[in-house]
Amino acid sequence: MGIAVVARGNGRQRTIEDRRKEFEAEALPHLDALFGLALRLTGGDEPRSEDLVQDAMLKAWRSWDRFESGTNCRAWLMTILRNGFINLYRREMSRPVKVEFEEIAEGHGSGSLYEADPEGRVFDRLVNDKVLRAIEELPDEFRIPVVLADVEGMRYQEVAETMGIPVGTVKSRLFRGRKRLQESLHRFAVEQGYLP
Amino acid sequence: MNGQKPPEGRRTDAEAEELSCEESLALMYEFLDGELPAERNETVRRHLQICRRCYPHFDFERIFLDYLHEAGSAPQANPDLERRIRSLIAEESA
Repeated sequence: MGIAVVARGNGRQRTIEDRRKEFEAEALPHLDALFGLALRLTGGDEPRSEDLVQDAMLKAWRSWDRFESGTNCRAWLMTILRNGFINLYRREMSRPVKVEFEEIAEGHGSGSLYEADPEGRVFDRLVNDKVLRAIEELPDEFRIPVVLADVEGMRYQEVAETMGIPVGTVKSRLFRGRKRLQESLHRFAVEQGYLP
Repeated sequence: MNGQKPPEGRRTDAEAEELSCEESLALMYEFLDGELPAERNETVRRHLQICRRCYPHFDFERIFLDYLHEAGSAPQANPDLERRIRSLIAEESA
């Protein structure tokens, strides 16, 4: 097991052991965040999420020399994981998706949850696992843009590029995805007795 | 798609124009997501200042989107996963 020596920015020589310690200290604390993102993206598929996290971490480790210390490690790891997921997803999804032509026919206003609870009070009462479950239950084509835009805060353009779909499609899927989520949350709220 | 096309015969001059409620609601998510061009954004903002019907919709959706964003917080990964990753990395660096 030769001691590999790697030069970095300031020319300081570091052993592979130094690098590994550094990686473990800087990258591994983000494991839960990565797992959370993977769960959202896969719709709650734990084994698949663990695989995604593991692949992302190994990829990150292999390119650790290219990561600039002090920059946003979490964002870098998230990008690696997201790209890994999207590559798989695109491969699986090379067949066309059927939602394109069920466009937004039901008007633009808010839906039934708004009618029942216009001030959104119920959001304070619904615990997170309800919304997480509602997200998980969304079909891929709605869940992925919702996770990328609403949970991760990506711009429409970034979502479009990540998913390889037009911005207009991102907009319509976000619209439908959000409305579906509201419907599920409405149902949960009624089941829990928070709303009549 | 949503909000892209105004009804026939409306809106030729984006700056001077006032929005109808229907039009403002059609732009709601793009407005809340900060995705509208500045002028368009301003037109919606002006509409919201005077429209008591639209404002609560926007308010509700904003609360909903904030809720979604916060609820995305991470659950705990299985400790085995961390162990596995540590040992894979150790293997690779050996």
